[in-house]
Amino acid sequence: MTIGTGRSAGLELHFEVEQFLFAEGRLLDERRFEEWEALFAADGYYWVPAAHDQESPYSGLSLFYDDREMMRTRVRRLGHTNIHVQKPPTRTCHAYTNVSVEPVREGTDEYLVESRLIVLEYRHDEPQHLYGGRCRHHLRRIDGGFEIAWKRVDLLNCDGIFTALAVPF
Amino acid sequence: MDDRYLRALIRPDRVHRDFYTSPELFELEMERIFGRAWLFVGHDSQVPNPGDFVSVTVARQPLLVTRHADGSVHVLMNRCAHRGAQVCTEPYGNATQLRCPYHGWTYGLDGARLGVPYRKRYADEFLATEAIRLEPIPRMAMHRGFIFGSFTAAGPSLDACFGPMKGHLDDMVDRAPDGEIEIGRPFRYRFNANWKIQLENQNDMYHPMFTHESTTDERGTQFRRQGAEEDQAGKVQLLGAKAGLNPAWEQLQLGGYPFGHTFSGAFPTDRGAEGPVQARYKALLEQRYSAERVTDLLALGRHNSIFYPHFTLQYLTTHIRVMNPIAVDCTEDVIYPIRLRGAPEEMWHATIRSNNNSHSPSGLVMTDDMEVWSRCQSGLKAKTGEWVHFARGMGEEVRIADDTYRATGTTEVCAREQQRAWLRYMLEPDLGTVIA
Repeated sequence: MTIGTGRSAGLELHFEVEQFLFAEGRLLDERRFEEWEALFAADGYYWVPAAHDQESPYSGLSLFYDDREMMRTRVRRLGHTNIHVQKPPTRTCHAYTNVSVEPVREGTDEYLVESRLIVLEYRHDEPQHLYGGRCRHHLRRIDGGFEIAWKRVDLLNCDGIFTALAVPF
Repeated sequence: MDDRYLRALIRPDRVHRDFYTSPELFELEMERIFGRAWLFVGHDSQVPNPGDFVSVTVARQPLLVTRHADGSVHVLMNRCAHRGAQVCTEPYGNATQLRCPYHGWTYGLDGARLGVPYRKRYADEFLATEAIRLEPIPRMAMHRGFIFGSFTAAGPSLDACFGPMKGHLDDMVDRAPDGEIEIGRPFRYRFNANWKIQLENQNDMYHPMFTHESTTDERGTQFRRQGAEEDQAGKVQLLGAKAGLNPAWEQLQLGGYPFGHTFSGAFPTDRGAEGPVQARYKALLEQRYSAERVTDLLALGRHNSIFYPHFTLQYLTTHIRVMNPIAVDCTEDVIYPIRLRGAPEEMWHATIRSNNNSHSPSGLVMTDDMEVWSRCQSGLKAKTGEWVHFARGMGEEVRIADDTYRATGTTEVCAREQQRAWLRYMLEPDLGTVIA
């Protein structure tokens, strides 16, 4: 059996998907949270489990589990003039790597994207944090690009001891 | 750190900054308060089967909660009798025996010695007389599955210490149609503030509209934190007309009991919990309780119960918050979600989402709390300005007995009473004399 050939997606699709991920990360780094939220499908969700290999968002707690409504609330709060935990704001650097793309089903325009995500975070005078782990996106092709059906980030330290978090991974 | 110094830190309406910033005082607190109080260790739902164990750190000490083969629950020091190695480092698991990785000394789930390998080089007398076991925590007590421990062998019993607060545990467990709860795996996070800053915030009703301003819309209504029903029920209403204080906040009930415990009534919300899920829940409760009891249970307006010094039972988000001191300027929270056995599954899902949204490390509510607490700690590095003020609502409370009171609204009485309890813990050589 051969693995890791990337043949199932093809070069052009792989390039498009990678550029999409890089653009998504850039939106978060530039704190363009409303535009980031708009990448998600109407039924889309963003999930960062709090347990290793967590089966579902209802099998336990999660660091983030946002449907569009919760995402909107979070984004609105991030833009609030008096969000104290973001004064000063967190700076982030999202780096996507090790990207591979698989069609969800033969002949559909939906893709499961597997990648590794590394996020650097810094907030004035606090220690710089490094987070990262396995990232999965379920993407659907739409006019002009993709929408995110869901994004799941499995942090290495998902069940560890955290500090306050504000910006999505 | 003599008695005169300790007394001088606490005035009726203010405390000295050393209270939050002195490392020496912190170590004395770890000995006299956390070393003697009844602390939350776990819940028996974490160890349902024989051989189950969980490793937890409580007030900086490593503990094991276990279920022995005979069904009994034990709280053991997670420390090999030989050279002091932590025997178990997995957060949870199941084992027939616990074996130290260093020299293979082996113990049962009740802490009893099972084996000392290659024992010929030990004198018979040593093996016969030394207490070779995983030491049990000096005192342990359970109530409705909650497991409490104390690091001192003497002092008031759990019942004497908790008093009427013990009933608050029942108020939570009785909400389960099966009469039992279980707790899920927790969040854990730390912030840079002294443990008392969080405690003094828990029944502070003066702060939400300012600290949590970022969670509200133009009408001062907070986002939906939980909803077992499909529509948006129960949003907390922080502000009233024209962005003034919602007058309902000044009617919010507060109270306290001896040993520094405090509690608060339910937050004003824009509507109650009616709906089809609530109706099913009510019907399930009525299978277990009388109609009057069900009415009382559902009418219980409580936001939280603070069991001084260590943990809070929270009814809005349905969780236990354990507050472990780490250092004078660092505290660790462990948040366990509570599942009411027998309740509709929608309610458990709502509990998960509510905790995710407000009390996770990314929580929309908790993070601004941690920010302001950390700012208190960093602000208090300023040495000019010795006193920290708690003068709000002085003397407005109703005294039922010396350490038992009721109050309403945005008073700071709960913090003042916790400070009085602090002084009693710190001064009393024998905690048996603390009860009036």
